[in-house]
Amino acid sequence: MNIDEFMQQLSSSKGVSNISKIRKNTVKLDLTKEESLDFFVSIKSEFEHCSLISAIDNQPDFELVYHFSCMNQSIVVDDSNCAVMLEAHIYLKREAPSVDSIANIWFGADWHEREAFDLMGIYFIGHPDLRRVLLPEGFAGHPLRKDYVYEIHEEEW
Amino acid sequence: MAEMWISMGPQHPMTHGLWTLKVKVDGETIVDADPELGYLHRSVEKMGERRKYFMNTTLTDRLCYASSTTWTHCYTHTVEELMEVEVPVRAQYIRTIMLELQRLASHLMWAGAYMPDLGHITGALYFWRDRELFLNLLELPSGSRLLYNFIRIGGVKRDLPNGFEEKTERILKLFEQRLDEYSDLFENSKIFRMRTDDVGKFTAEQAKNFGITGPNLRGCGTKFDLRKHDTYEIYEEIDWDISTREAGPGYSDCFSRYMVRIDEMKESVRIIRDCFKKMPAGATLASRIPVRAHGEAFRRTEDSRGEAMMYVVGDGSDRPYRWKIKSPMFTTMSACPHYLKGYKLADIPAIMGSIDICIGETDK
Repeated sequence: MNIDEFMQQLSSSKGVSNISKIRKNTVKLDLTKEESLDFFVSIKSEFEHCSLISAIDNQPDFELVYHFSCMNQSIVVDDSNCAVMLEAHIYLKREAPSVDSIANIWFGADWHEREAFDLMGIYFIGHPDLRRVLLPEGFAGHPLRKDYVYEIHEEEW
Repeated sequence: MAEMWISMGPQHPMTHGLWTLKVKVDGETIVDADPELGYLHRSVEKMGERRKYFMNTTLTDRLCYASSTTWTHCYTHTVEELMEVEVPVRAQYIRTIMLELQRLASHLMWAGAYMPDLGHITGALYFWRDRELFLNLLELPSGSRLLYNFIRIGGVKRDLPNGFEEKTERILKLFEQRLDEYSDLFENSKIFRMRTDDVGKFTAEQAKNFGITGPNLRGCGTKFDLRKHDTYEIYEEIDWDISTREAGPGYSDCFSRYMVRIDEMKESVRIIRDCFKKMPAGATLASRIPVRAHGEAFRRTEDSRGEAMMYVVGDGSDRPYRWKIKSPMFTTMSACPHYLKGYKLADIPAIMGSIDICIGETDK
C-alpha cells in the first residue's frame, strides 16, 4: 500500500481528523479520546512497533503524542524502502487526564505509559501495572507539569 | 522448593550501571523478574526546558558515556529539522565518520564488558585495548575522550585535523587484523559457545512487539536499520550493507546478538573508509543558525543500541517547550521478564549483558 492510499483509508476511520503528511514518510493525525483504542487496534497489523509516547503539558490541557513505526513494509513511500511512521495526537482535559491504555496491544508501550504517568500524571485505563518507573515510590506530584513547584532546599551552614 | 525473590543490584556487577533486577526463582530456575530503574534519573528533559537550544548538547553528551556522539547527533538533528537549518555536506561527512567511530568504540566497550560477565577477563582487556585506539581517534578532532560536544546545531565544531585520514586508516587496518584474531578466540571457543548458544532466545515478532530495536532485532534476522530505512546525513551515498544474524529461523540468542555486533563493526570500518573517499571540501558549519524555534519536530537515528528518537516542541522562545527522549534500552529492559523466564540464575549475566544495557540513557 502506498502512503497516499493509506491516508485515504484513514480518512474513513472513526474519530480521526486533520490527516496530513508532515514528512515524506510520516502521517500526522488527531484522534478523539473515546475512539482511540478502536483505532489503535485497527492499525496494529501495519504498525507493529510503538516507538514513543510523549505527554505534553499545553496549559491548561494535556496532549499525548504517539509515534508508531511500520517495519514490515506493508506501507511504502513510492519506490524507496523508507519506513513509514504514524504520529497520533490526543488532547486531554486537565480535570480528567485519562486515556485507554495500549500496553496490551503493544508491549513496548507499557513503560512509556508508566513514564507518562510518573512524570506528567496521565492515567492509562486498563494498564496492567501503572506505577512510577523513574521516580521513587511515595514521591509527591508530577515534575514535568508546568505548574509543578520545586521545593527549594536551603543549605544550612 | 518454595519460590523466592532475589534482588540483583543496584550494586551487582551484572547491572552495568545502577539498577535493580528482582528475580523470582524456583530453585535455580527464573520464574518471574521485575526490573527497577530510577537510581540514575537526572531529569534531563526538565533541565533541557530551562536551557537554550544550543546549551543542551552538553546534556545529551551525558546521556550515555559509551556512545555520547550519537545522542548529541540525534538531538542536533531534531533541532535542525525544527529550525530548518541546512547542514553543509562536508559537515555531514565528518558527522558520519564521528558516528561510526563512536559506534565502534561503543560496541567494543560492550564486548569488553560482556566478557567478564561470562568469566572471561582476558576478553575485557583485549576489547578495551582496541577501544582505546578509537578513543584516541575521537580525541583528535574534539579534544576529549568521552564527552565530545563536537556535533553542534548546524554542523560540527571544527574541521578534521591534518593527517586524520592516515591515522584512521592505520588504526582500521590494525583493528581488522585483531577482529580475525578474536573470531578464533571467541567464536570458536567452546566455553564461550556453551554460555551463549541457545540462551536468552526471543523471536523477531516478539522483539518488535516488545519495542526491541537495533542490533538485538537484527540478531533475529530482521533486516531493519534506520540508517537505510529512515536515512539521514549521507548514509544513502555510502556503500554498505545491513548486517543480520539469526540463531534459528526468526529468533536470536546471545551468540547471534554477539555476532551481529561484530559484523556491524566490520560494516562501520567500510563506512568510514568510503566517507574519506567521497568527502568534499567546504564549510563545516551552517552560515545561518537561528536561536528561536516554533513548532514541533521529531527525528530518529540508529544509535549503537537501537532506535534513538527525540521529539522537540518549540513555543517561539529560545528554549524547548517540551523535549522528549526515546531511549532504545528503556523498552528493551521493560521486556526482560519475558526473555529471562525459564533460564537459570547463572544465565542472567549472559542474557542481560548480551542486550547491551546503558543506564544513563534509560534513566534520563
